Amino acid sequence: MQAVTTLCVENLWLERGDRDLCRGLSFSLQGGQVARIIGENGAGKSSLLKYLVGTLSAVEGSVAFNGEDISAHRDVLIQDLLYIGHTPGVKSVFTVAENLKLYAPHSSNQELEYALTQVSLDAYWDTPAAQLSAGQKRRVALARLWLTQKPVWLLDEPFTALDVSGVEVLEQRIKDHVITGGIVVLTTHQPLHSLNPVTIELAS
Amino acid sequence: MTLSSFFKAELLTLFRRKQSIFNALIFFVMVVTLFPLGVDPSPDFLAPAAGGIIWCAIALAILMSVESLFKEDYNDGSLEQWLVSGHSVSVLVLLKVFAQWLMVVIPLVLALPFLSKMLFLASELIPVMLVSVLVGSPALFLIGAIGAALTVSLRGGAVLMLLLILPLYIPVIIFATGAVRAAQLEMPFTGQLAILGAISLLALAISPLMAAISIKASVS
Repeated sequence: MQAVTTLCVENLWLERGDRDLCRGLSFSLQGGQVARIIGENGAGKSSLLKYLVGTLSAVEGSVAFNGEDISAHRDVLIQDLLYIGHTPGVKSVFTVAENLKLYAPHSSNQELEYALTQVSLDAYWDTPAAQLSAGQKRRVALARLWLTQKPVWLLDEPFTALDVSGVEVLEQRIKDHVITGGIVVLTTHQPLHSLNPVTIELAS
Repeated sequence: MTLSSFFKAELLTLFRRKQSIFNALIFFVMVVTLFPLGVDPSPDFLAPAAGGIIWCAIALAILMSVESLFKEDYNDGSLEQWLVSGHSVSVLVLLKVFAQWLMVVIPLVLALPFLSKMLFLASELIPVMLVSVLVGSPALFLIGAIGAALTVSLRGGAVLMLLLILPLYIPVIIFATGAVRAAQLEMPFTGQLAILGAISLLALAISPLMAAISIKASVS
């Protein structure tokens, strides 16, 4: 029996320039929950994700993963983390398959094909990523969600540039993930149809 | 992402982007070829100057190839993925620099004997030249990587990077040309080569750490 995954942020104070993005923000997530960060453009949604990942430091506040304080070092979290940022790390010199193999070197070709079928890119196996559209590039990055075992997903605007069916498939994947005890934190401006997220609001 | 998949991907990237490496090599060959035409093509002048000409051209060619080392990774979000890969960023930097070094230095070393001959460098000095390049060039790549990491998030950071990095290239050039010159005068030259090696080892110890810190600062 696996222990329940938890991610708790307490009393967080984030700043950009001289502006407070949030102050005294606390929330607590556990396995099976989807959290959605909402806020206007520039409210600090991506910054909050970057703080969780550890690339941005906070003025004040602490974050705990599975009960362990990881404010100083995110190593424990990073072991269990999949982060897809605003620019998703898709290399334009590589083909679609090579891009996936870089991040999922242990996956077999069948698994890669399955993941690409899920995001309807199975016909683009050998296509250089440079020739893909913005939405297709995002799908390449999102295909990693079908190849990963990591419990915590932090997704920055995962629905951007996706078409209606793409959004549906992704929502389904997120749903399947949280049912098995995962945590998903995402930012989006689009309405979610089948997900029932916890809301983290960043007021400006 | 594992270290071996990362290293393979780096080599593949360099292979797909061979145009930029080719540019650096062509630049190197052009400088060495044009120099005698511009100054003095006589063996009396060229033979003593050969070490200096070749080393300056090498330093500039390497500078060209490392200047935008992390630029593409920064733009496509790969640097962010480095930070969450669970690997030490220093190790990733080191692997990237090593891949770049392999792809640039191997063709450089292959071209070197011909260019040395063109500048009337005596045949018995060519091995000294080769050793000085093999021992000294890692320092140039590693120091360049710090500059590239520091300026990766800046627009038009190339000039700033040159200002930061060029002064640090000077000792390498001095000791490398010093070794070739000493060999020409039939004096002992192992001391200069040893210092070159020491500079490279020092850069090997410091540069990945510094570059990793710079990358972390640039990404956030």
